[in-house]
Amino acid sequence: MPRKIRSAAVIGSGIMGGGIAALLAGAGIKTLLLDIVPPNLKAEEKNDLLARNRIVKAGLDAALAIQPALFMSPRDAERITIGNLEDDFAKIADCDWIVEVIVENLKIKQDLLKRIEPIRKKDTLVSTNTSGIPLKAMSKGRGKEFKQHFLGTHFFNPVRYMKLLEIIPGEETLPEILEFMADFGERILGKGIVWAKDTPNFVGNRIGVQGMVKVMQLMLEEGITIPEVDALFGPVMGRPRTGMFKTADIVGLDTLAHVAKNTYELIGKDEDRESFVLPEFVNTMIEKNLLGKKSQSGFYKTDLTPDWQKIRKVIDPATLEYEEARPPELPCLAAAQKAKTLPEKMQAIVYGEDKGAKFAWKAVANNLIYAVNRIPEISDTIVDIDNAMKWGFNLEMGPFETWDAIGLEASVARMEKDGFGVPEKVQKMLKTGNTSFYKTENGTVFYYDFESESYKERMVSENILSLAAVKAKGMVVKTSESASLIDLDDGVFCLEFHTKLNSLNQQIIEAIHEAREFINTEGIGLVIGNQAGGMPGAFSAGANLADMVAAAKVNQYEGIELMVKDLQYGLQKLRYASFPVVTAPYGLTLGGGCEVCLASDKIVAHAELYMGQVEIGVGLIPAGGACLNLMKKFLSSLPDVVTDFDLAKFFLPVFMAIAMAKVSISAADARVNGFLGPRDRIVFNRDYLIGEAKKDVLKMVDEGYAPPPKRKIKVLGQAAQGMVSVEISNMLNGKFITEYDALLAKKIAYVISGGDVRDNAEVEEDVILTLEREAFVELLKEEKTLARIDHMLTTGKPLRN
Amino acid sequence: MRDAYIVTSIRTPGCKRNKGAFKDTRPEDLLSFILTEGVEKTKNMEKKDVEDIMIGCSFPEAEQGLNIGRIASQIAGFPVDVTGATVNRFCASGLEAIAQAALRVMAGWSDIVIGGGLESMTYVPMGGNLPRPHPEYTQKLADLYASMGITAENVAHRYNVSRESQDEFAYQSQMKAAEAKSKNLYKEIVPTPAARYVEQEDGTYKKETFLQDFDDGIREGTTLEGLANLNPVFAAGGTVTAGNASQMTDGAAATVIMSEDEVKALGLKPIAKFKSYTTVGCKPDEMGIGPKLAIPKLMKLAAMDLKDVGLFEINEAFASQALYCINELGIDKQNVNIHGGAIALGHPLGCTGAKLCATLLNNMQERGVKYGVESMCIGGGMGAAALFELCE
Repeated sequence: MPRKIRSAAVIGSGIMGGGIAALLAGAGIKTLLLDIVPPNLKAEEKNDLLARNRIVKAGLDAALAIQPALFMSPRDAERITIGNLEDDFAKIADCDWIVEVIVENLKIKQDLLKRIEPIRKKDTLVSTNTSGIPLKAMSKGRGKEFKQHFLGTHFFNPVRYMKLLEIIPGEETLPEILEFMADFGERILGKGIVWAKDTPNFVGNRIGVQGMVKVMQLMLEEGITIPEVDALFGPVMGRPRTGMFKTADIVGLDTLAHVAKNTYELIGKDEDRESFVLPEFVNTMIEKNLLGKKSQSGFYKTDLTPDWQKIRKVIDPATLEYEEARPPELPCLAAAQKAKTLPEKMQAIVYGEDKGAKFAWKAVANNLIYAVNRIPEISDTIVDIDNAMKWGFNLEMGPFETWDAIGLEASVARMEKDGFGVPEKVQKMLKTGNTSFYKTENGTVFYYDFESESYKERMVSENILSLAAVKAKGMVVKTSESASLIDLDDGVFCLEFHTKLNSLNQQIIEAIHEAREFINTEGIGLVIGNQAGGMPGAFSAGANLADMVAAAKVNQYEGIELMVKDLQYGLQKLRYASFPVVTAPYGLTLGGGCEVCLASDKIVAHAELYMGQVEIGVGLIPAGGACLNLMKKFLSSLPDVVTDFDLAKFFLPVFMAIAMAKVSISAADARVNGFLGPRDRIVFNRDYLIGEAKKDVLKMVDEGYAPPPKRKIKVLGQAAQGMVSVEISNMLNGKFITEYDALLAKKIAYVISGGDVRDNAEVEEDVILTLEREAFVELLKEEKTLARIDHMLTTGKPLRN
Repeated sequence: MRDAYIVTSIRTPGCKRNKGAFKDTRPEDLLSFILTEGVEKTKNMEKKDVEDIMIGCSFPEAEQGLNIGRIASQIAGFPVDVTGATVNRFCASGLEAIAQAALRVMAGWSDIVIGGGLESMTYVPMGGNLPRPHPEYTQKLADLYASMGITAENVAHRYNVSRESQDEFAYQSQMKAAEAKSKNLYKEIVPTPAARYVEQEDGTYKKETFLQDFDDGIREGTTLEGLANLNPVFAAGGTVTAGNASQMTDGAAATVIMSEDEVKALGLKPIAKFKSYTTVGCKPDEMGIGPKLAIPKLMKLAAMDLKDVGLFEINEAFASQALYCINELGIDKQNVNIHGGAIALGHPLGCTGAKLCATLLNNMQERGVKYGVESMCIGGGMGAAALFELCE
């Protein structure tokens, strides 16, 4: 009997429980969310179901309300049933997986598992999301069959966005249960799996919290300020912009203290146990309820000046007074900002001369040594530790990748000089001539395995088709600075963009044409996708605006028009090419990036998809075919036999999406907006996208792919312009939009509706493309458009003029 | 000219669009019911005695289409030789229908005519199902099609009607309505069958009917603080909110009008005479000032003074415009909309003119007032007003 998760029970409706329930529901799994009956019910409430479910209801409501959204679509909540642990406990018997996310208290967890044991049906998975309590202690007293199905599944907050899922085998967990959960977690829930051992705080939190607390200690010793720490441990070290302390504010100082204290108590033998002791000032902050975001004040707080300007303040550890946070100035930071690659930036920081650099070096060296000493205690491989830090803490590089980046030999030499105790296994590794933790040979990545003292292949799921690996094997057919055509084998090719944010430019447009010509004779299908990193990352953030402005400023309008036409017809010719084209968007899929997808046969999208036509924000309209193809996408859901319908009902949402620059908050939301159609597919694991898109190409070819016929399109014509003029006039009179917004909106309506034709006229597709192009070029001549673009390029924010 | 006597004037309750009691009741059913009741409540008169039926409707399309005046009267069982028409003057359609019916009697062309009004804003939304403003004209000037809310904002802004005074006006409307409802003063309401689709035990649905006998938009619990907390809907930084604007409503109303000869022949006691009616135009983007222009014009036409008028029903499309008109005309607020107005009771567009007639005549009888005026503003930039004289 195949194992399936048809329904799941999540016990505990706090922020983690709610997050797990939201994720499961988003993945299409019926979920039972349970929590306790409020302990202080009044006598008359004791039989009131609403009162008895008050806690779980509040938990679900909080999960629905929180921003950034935990739910990919609010409608996913329809798959969640709420209940309480007294009246509804028997329902867990119907679930294939029961995950407990209740309070971190051993006795309470033991009692819960004891209650679950007789009720769960045989073979049901039971897991704990504990972040610190040993599984062994928790499952004590349970029967063999229970323990064989019991494991740790440790998600990270916020569950939807954090990729890490630590799987912790219990003493007796069956191997097939572990394998199943790893596949389920990776494929269905889209997570990155890290194998952890049943040790205090497992992998991510053990290494991560050690690093954070140690930094706080060192900061005081070295006389560094909080903003300096955050700058040093920010993007220049491949870490999130929030650095250390802003991250701690988000996590909550009380939570951090709890994990640190819990670890300290459980790791008696740890050689660096003292690095889990928070500095006194942090404890004082917790006593004063300065807990971070949840109490509005933590290491940082935001005040308002009398004239409503926001002012960011930071705490002084010595006085606990807040003062204005000023951007730190350190020579090593300046050097790092100038450096091009991440390893160069990191080297500029840790090998710098100033006090900031010296502090950073100490902190980094300590954390690297701490990490290597945890093998094999918490994990068998450096890969799992690196992945845990990347996926659980949003670092670009884990400790061992960082170590390689700053140079293993050089850093070890410095460590020895500075009196750090370099672990024996690292010394031995170097002595045997192994000078890096990772190496790539012929596209295959190998990692250093301390146990066998040799390199082993870094294995990934067979569902993951790595473009980097394929490219390293020399499978690049064509390439330029901006794009490459890669042979994915079986006749399928991938067009990969690799510009900044994968924005479209002349070279990419040329590559689109070349790919079509090449595959027409040499291949059977095309995938358009890439695997650029980042959170949320960008399939393509649109056209390169700087190019446009530069051309406009020297009156190169003919050139611009030609380029736009090239893009339009590059995409339209792909649409009607003899082979299937599947796009694989994820993250930011905006403007031209969105248009590439709208023109394709099928979209295989990552669940985290921020898709939309946002051109109006920079005073432009979409001119890569979106005004045509979004409307076509909407209309394509109708069978031909439906001939008499109100076209306005289709026109309006298309118009609104473009005129309001609507961007989806997930792939599920993009489907609601109509950017994803019924044929398009959502994939939860981003690493799977290219492989899944290739599968779809092969399937379409196998099914006998024929390109769609090119037909005229029905448009709303002038009727649309009358409707829009009135609405726009109302919004303008209501001061909701500016005069220029109104002009742009009318232009969008004009183009989508096919221009000066009567309603329900059928026009050639080229009519809309021509109107798109004309409007685009005209707008580029407008001062207000150029001002909007300039503002976006310099501030990253839209200008409303 | 002969006199036109009103012998019966009744209405269905007004019920909230999409959420109210009539949300599942077809407009034809509302109208055919009130037409039948109009005949039933007129002693000694039968359906065959009626010559024509004029029905005001602002969006006469879809369920309200194909000449609802004829469709609904046939559904109601009037003989085939009784004719029917649909009349559209947007928000004054119902009053226009009554005026035309009265005029037929006054001219001697007809002896018994029913004038009425109907709008199910649930079934046919404001603006109709397929709004198609003229493309070239709207490019130049979209005012003619402007949202009513914007016109209300314009009135508030141009003539300095404050948010506070609008909210206070809205509050009073609700309180007056709440009191009238609790004291059962809406004698013009006829309990009306309403449909609903009820889920059966096996999961299928069945259409059922129930009687609705009150206006379901009245908010007894309205407070000034609550009103003050509402956000403006139509303009950033504006003053018009959902609380100080009229409600969108479903309803129907009918008024039976006949000549003096018929009144005598049937042995009836008439309620009032329909004396005079007028309309006037104004700028579309401030259509709300219509009553301010129409009422003086009516007074001049009737050679009367405002002082002689004891009661007014001035449609509360928006607090801003109603309040402005009342203040400008210098009318005593005690005599206006004494049982609340459209802010509490709803503004079922084409029905409103006919509905306010029934309400005004009821109130004139209640107070023993000789002259009453009904007036309203009209989308597109117009006002209408009519004069009624209570019969001794």
